[in-house]
Amino acid sequence: MSELRVEGLAKRFGGLRVFQDISFTLPSGALLGVIGPNGAGKTTLINVISGRQPPSEGRITLDGKDVTGQPAHAISRLGVARSFQQTNTFKSVSVRENIARAVRFGQRGMPAGLEALLQEFGLSARLDEQSDKLPYGLQKMLGLVMAFATGPRVLLLDEPAAGLERAERQHVDRFVAHVRDAGASVLIVEHDMDLIRRLCPRILVLDAGVLLADGPPAEVLARPDVIAAYLGDTEEAA
Amino acid sequence: MTLIPKSRFLGGAEIAAVLVFVAAFAVPAITKSVLIYSILNQALVGVVAAQSVWIMLRMNLLSFASPAFMAIGGYTVAIAGQYEITDVFAMTAAAFLVPALVAIPLGALVLRLRGTYFVLVTFVLSQIMQLLLFETPGLTGGSNGISGIPPATIFGTELATNRQVVLFACGIALFATIITACLTRFFRQHFAAIEENEILAESLGLVVWRYKALGFVVAAGIAGLAGYSLVTMLLTAHPSSFDSGTAVDFIAYSIIGGRSSILGPIVGTALMVYATNLFGTHGQYAQGLYGVLILVVVLALRGGIVGTVSTLLRKARGA
Repeated sequence: MSELRVEGLAKRFGGLRVFQDISFTLPSGALLGVIGPNGAGKTTLINVISGRQPPSEGRITLDGKDVTGQPAHAISRLGVARSFQQTNTFKSVSVRENIARAVRFGQRGMPAGLEALLQEFGLSARLDEQSDKLPYGLQKMLGLVMAFATGPRVLLLDEPAAGLERAERQHVDRFVAHVRDAGASVLIVEHDMDLIRRLCPRILVLDAGVLLADGPPAEVLARPDVIAAYLGDTEEAA
Repeated sequence: MTLIPKSRFLGGAEIAAVLVFVAAFAVPAITKSVLIYSILNQALVGVVAAQSVWIMLRMNLLSFASPAFMAIGGYTVAIAGQYEITDVFAMTAAAFLVPALVAIPLGALVLRLRGTYFVLVTFVLSQIMQLLLFETPGLTGGSNGISGIPPATIFGTELATNRQVVLFACGIALFATIITACLTRFFRQHFAAIEENEILAESLGLVVWRYKALGFVVAAGIAGLAGYSLVTMLLTAHPSSFDSGTAVDFIAYSIIGGRSSILGPIVGTALMVYATNLFGTHGQYAQGLYGVLILVVVLALRGGIVGTVSTLLRKARGA
C-alpha cells in the first residue's frame, strides 16, 4: 500500500507552460480520476509522475520518499506503473513474451491475479499470437495487463478506454477492480465521463495546465467553471 | 498454464556460429593456398568487427565507432610489441580490455544521444581517433604508424608462418564469437525490448542505459580484438588500417547478413569479402559493383540474408 503525493508540480517546455502548481494526494488503495479538455496537460502529468519527463518545479513523493526527477525505470521499480494512451506493446513478439518481459523487467515477481486477468480478457487463449495481430481492443487490454504484470503499488492509466467499443469498456471497469483487489491505488486520465462517474469517487479537473477542481464527480461536474472548461464559456458564447 | 517461458541459454544460431569458427581451424590443414589464407584472414578480421557493430544494432543503435576501438586494440598490441610483450593471452586480454575501458566514459557521453545524433557522434569518434593517431607520433608513430611488430607468441612459440597467423585469427574470431553469443543470448530479451520499444521497456522497469552501456563496452572490446587480429596479420599498425570509412563496410556486413541473428554478420562478411576479392579483378568497376551488390541485397532482402532465409523456412514449416 502506497501513498502518492504531488506538491506544486509544474512542467514547462522552454517558454511553453504545460501545467503549473498541481498538488494532490493519492492515498493507498484509492482511485482518482483526472479529466480535462485536450491540451490540459493530463498525459504530461502522467509522463512527469512516471519519470518519463522531469518536472520543472515541484515535488513527488511515494510513501514519503522523494522520487522527484527519478528516471522511468526507477519509478517503475518503486512500484509506480503506467499505461499509454495508444496501444503500446512489443509488437513483433507474442502476447506471452510481452507479459513475460513485463514480469521480468518489473522484478517484483508475477502478481497474484495475473492469470485470471488474462483469462477474463480472452488473452490466455491467444498467448502465442503475435501482439500486433490482435484486434485493437485486445492490444489495448494487453498494454494494461502488462502494466499490472510489473506488480505495481500505484497504477497510472492514460485514457484506458480510448478507442474501445462500448462492450470493451466494461473490461476497463473489471481491470480497475482487479488492480484495487490487488491493493494498488489507481490514477485514471480519461475523457469517458460515464466511466469516470462509475469508477472514481474523486476527480481532478485540469484546464489549460491549471488545477480547476478536486472533489466528488457529482459535485465537481456541476460546477459552472468546469462546465465552461468543457463546453466553452456559455455567457461569452451568447 | 506456463505463462513465462524458460529460454535456453544458447540457441541454434549461437551454436552454429561457434561451430563455423571451430571448423575454420581445419582450413590450414586442407589447403596451403596463400590466397585462401589471405581471404580467410580478411574475413576473420571483418567478421569480428561486424560482430561489434551487430551488438549495437541489437539495440537499434547504428555505431560508426568500431574503427576507433579497433585502433585502440591494435595500437595497444603494437605498442606492447615494441616492449617485446607478445604473449597471445596477455595481448588478447589487453586488446579487449583497453578499448572496453576507454568506452566506459565515452559511452556515458554518447549513449545519451539517439538516432541520427548517435550515428554522427560515433562517426566523429572515429575521425577524432584518426587525428589522435596522426598527431601523437611519439606514441603511435604518427603517419608512419608502427611497423616491424614482432609476431604474437603462444607459450614462447612465435606465430610467424601464414598458417599460424590464420590459426591465430581463427582463435580470436572464436573467442569474439563466444563473447558476443553469450552477451546477446543472455540479455536477448533486454536487447530486443530496447530495439523494439525503448520507452515501453523503460516504463516496465528495464534500466535501459545499463544495457546500452554494457553493449557499448563489450562491442568496443570486440572491435579491439578485430584490431589485434588485423595488426597481427599486417605486422604493422597504421592509421589507414583504421580509417573511419571502414565502419561502412562492417555495418554493411551486419545489415546484409541480417541483424536478427548472430549468423548475420558471419554470412554478410563471408559474402562481401568474397565479393570484394571477386570484384577486385574488375579494376575501376570494383567499387561500383560492390555498391550495386549492397543495394540489391538491402532492397531485395529487407531482413538481410539470414533473416530472409529464416522467414522463408518458417513459412515453409507453417505451410
